[in-house]
Amino acid sequence: MQEFKDIQSLWQSHSVEVKISAEEMLEQAKKEVNVIRNKSMLNIAGMALSFVAISSLLFYFDFNSWTTLLGIGIIVLAVGIYTWLLYREHRLISRNDFTEHPGEFLHKLHEYQLSRYNLYNKLYWFYASAISIGFVLYFYEMLENMNGSVQLVFILFTVFWMIFCATILRKSFMKREKERIDLLIEKFERISGQLKN
Amino acid sequence: MDQKDILFKEIFDTNSKKIFHLCYGYTGDADSANDLLQETFLKVWQNLDKFRQKSLISTWIYRIAVNTCLTYLRSEKRQAKDELTDNIIENRIEEYSEKNEQVALLYKSISKLEENDRLIITMVLDELPYAEIAEISGISEGNLRVKIHRIKQKLTELYNQHARI
Repeated sequence: MQEFKDIQSLWQSHSVEVKISAEEMLEQAKKEVNVIRNKSMLNIAGMALSFVAISSLLFYFDFNSWTTLLGIGIIVLAVGIYTWLLYREHRLISRNDFTEHPGEFLHKLHEYQLSRYNLYNKLYWFYASAISIGFVLYFYEMLENMNGSVQLVFILFTVFWMIFCATILRKSFMKREKERIDLLIEKFERISGQLKN
Repeated sequence: MDQKDILFKEIFDTNSKKIFHLCYGYTGDADSANDLLQETFLKVWQNLDKFRQKSLISTWIYRIAVNTCLTYLRSEKRQAKDELTDNIIENRIEEYSEKNEQVALLYKSISKLEENDRLIITMVLDELPYAEIAEISGISEGNLRVKIHRIKQKLTELYNQHARI
């Protein structure tokens, strides 16, 4: 039969070890935000790379038809605008530090989520339409000298790829990103909410 | 390292062990306690400039920790984790020595108390002055003494009950 004082001495004899340091703690808090920042940065880098690669076609190949030039021009323009929009969004979360200005950061995170939603819904269809028109014009000259079956493979692959990106890939990307941002917002709102108490 | 970082480091080094103990007592699970410790000190960092020294800094940190603990497990996602606490404690009993079995039993007994009582008894076990516990928990000192007496009895009873099983 134990008395309370025995329980107390048992409690005090048991030492706990804090496995995290002050620096690591702040680092970890910033890390979660950095995952989103880095993903957004990678997204922009990928788009910028596509922009350069497609634009370089104009310098390295001598195209005869105006449709090819117009096609490439439309694709480059669409990719360029989309990259710029991605960069504009990226700035929303890259300019603030949650540990320094939690209220402002939370506000920007909400703005970022809404902007991301628009980018992958309404604006995505403008982008997909522009890319599709661009490809149709580009293929007009490019596929001219190929035989029918190769033409069919090219067209089917492009159509399949566009549909795949617009449906499965886009939806799963949006779902994952929404979950990640929702979790962050929930966590930061809980933290900020308690501070007002 | 700027002045705020240095101050934070000092505060963290002085208080983190006590706060971790409080969180561990509340959740009975080291991982959750670690999460709570981080949330607590993140708030401390953000509000360091607003601390007006009306109370001891340790009292202020304890208040943040208590608040964090109370809201943490109430969030929907953490409920499932909370239910696992018993299993975590039971599994750990098998892993540890006899003394640590008693400690695990103590955590299990604490986990059977009401949420607020868990936090109060953890502070009592850590020998915080009653006046400070009263300030942290927002209860008058007179009421707190009665409450603590009741929680002590309840905890002793629970511990002895579990020890007999």
